[in-house]
Amino acid sequence: MEDSATHSAPLIIARGLTKQFGELKAVDGVDLDIAPNECVGFLGPNGAGKTTLMRLVFSAIAKTAGELTVFGLTPMEQRKQINAHIGVVFQDNNLDEELNAAECLLVHALYCGLDHRTARRRIAALLDWLSLTAKADSRIRALSGGMVRRLMIARALLNSPKLLILDEPTTGLDPQVRHAIWAALRDLKRQGMTILLTTHYMDEAQQLSDRVLIMDRGRIILSGPPNDLVEAHLERYVLQVSGVPTVPPLDGGIRHEHAGDADYFYAAAEQPLQALHERLAAKYAILRHANLEDVFLKFTGRGFNE
Amino acid sequence: MSSSPANGLSELHQPIRLRTSLFWSLYGVWYRHFRVYTKTFLANATPPLLEPLFFFTAVAIGLGNYVQPGGFEGLSYRTFVASGLVISSAMFTAIFETTFGTFVRLVFQKTYDAMLGTHLRVSEIFVGEMLFAATKGAVFSTVVLLVTMAFGARPNVWCVLVPVVGMLTSYLFASIGLIVTSYVKMINNFSFFTTGVITPLFFFSGTFFPIKGHYVWLDVVSNVLPLTHPIEISRALFEAHFTPATLAHVAALTAYIVVCHVLALRRMTQRVLS
Repeated sequence: MEDSATHSAPLIIARGLTKQFGELKAVDGVDLDIAPNECVGFLGPNGAGKTTLMRLVFSAIAKTAGELTVFGLTPMEQRKQINAHIGVVFQDNNLDEELNAAECLLVHALYCGLDHRTARRRIAALLDWLSLTAKADSRIRALSGGMVRRLMIARALLNSPKLLILDEPTTGLDPQVRHAIWAALRDLKRQGMTILLTTHYMDEAQQLSDRVLIMDRGRIILSGPPNDLVEAHLERYVLQVSGVPTVPPLDGGIRHEHAGDADYFYAAAEQPLQALHERLAAKYAILRHANLEDVFLKFTGRGFNE
Repeated sequence: MSSSPANGLSELHQPIRLRTSLFWSLYGVWYRHFRVYTKTFLANATPPLLEPLFFFTAVAIGLGNYVQPGGFEGLSYRTFVASGLVISSAMFTAIFETTFGTFVRLVFQKTYDAMLGTHLRVSEIFVGEMLFAATKGAVFSTVVLLVTMAFGARPNVWCVLVPVVGMLTSYLFASIGLIVTSYVKMINNFSFFTTGVITPLFFFSGTFFPIKGHYVWLDVVSNVLPLTHPIEISRALFEAHFTPATLAHVAALTAYIVVCHVLALRRMTQRVLS
């Protein structure tokens, strides 16, 4: 991150930010600073409040309590000034299915206030950059899931935003498309874009985020660079097994967790887990580095918390 | 993904000017509806245009043969019915646009989410939508006017102003549709409104027979109904017969529009921003 004076003021500041729907606190006292050019990944189980938090940022809902500023401005009151510089990729694809790809983008460009000529120029550039030029005249219904998702990203960039909000950008897509989208997002980040991202994929958060925020029941329960989080909260290695009827007594230094039919053994070194692996003779076993998913499950629990 | 930074990304970072004023915001929303509607124009426009023509054929031409030879209020029966149908067709197109149409965009297509991700205000989103409905109203009343003339309706030259009345009618009923939609949770709830409100409006606002002078209560009810006023204005234009009552109808229509416009925006803001 650059430290120059112009870049140091946070783009988004939240203090005790709360959004309540009836009895439910969807966002519950969130404190947050997002720096320019930062890419922040929001992880959390369904209903954790990730999407609600994003909707507060682009003034799609009003906060119940607390403070929130975006670009130093107040959402809802100054939504026009704020949203002129935000691009949003929604969780649900909401392109106009009656139209073709280029028309969808044109319509959106006009919402943003581009004139027709600028709109056409930017649409051509965006389609080219996302390898969609050949599909410009295709109806939305005729496009694959990956193409529609890229089109959603293109749409969010029409107004040349400073802040890009992505709500589960690659859910349900095949690995090729996911990697292509990640590459595009890293491109944007190199160009100075600030990105907020919600996701259920730990690898996505790890690939793209400078910082990960884990949310649960409306609160941010953990925050930090993805690798630091793993290091700070877990042993380095994990042996994951399933179908072991009884667990033998363990050496000191091995921590054990049981969930469903699976057992997890954590240790700072690989060797004791290797030895345990041989003794257990499990149906399924894997010895690996602990990762963000382990951290996530440790803090949000292994049961369903719907 | 093509990593040709020369073309793609550098172009994307050209500074651009965003026209965020009210006018361009309304234009953006209007253009979306226009583009989507005209994409499947024949499928969209044919049924609602045929319907008033069926009514015209069955009632004005068919039943009209049995109506008193002088017609009503100095107009032949065909002309009388035509002066009502030009307005009711504007009502129907607007009411469907902002009940079923708006509901589908709101709940199923999430069209307004896409708009809310931009600088557009909720008020701009829905005024743009009502303006599009008003555009359709102007076109529909013009087409119905021309076709009924081809089938024997004989309006006065003042009827060139009928599209304006059609436009105002559509704006009014688009805002009424939005108010209704703001309360509706399931799409089938609309049938109560179309059958319980719109159908009686269609029959009891003076399209097919003069309401005045039969029963006092009917006069009162009819004058409260919003469709009565534009139909009376249209009829005044058709026969080039303007009275103080015409002015009262203009005032009533204006009042209806102002009140319903305000209510529609307030209700939809609540519905969308929650």
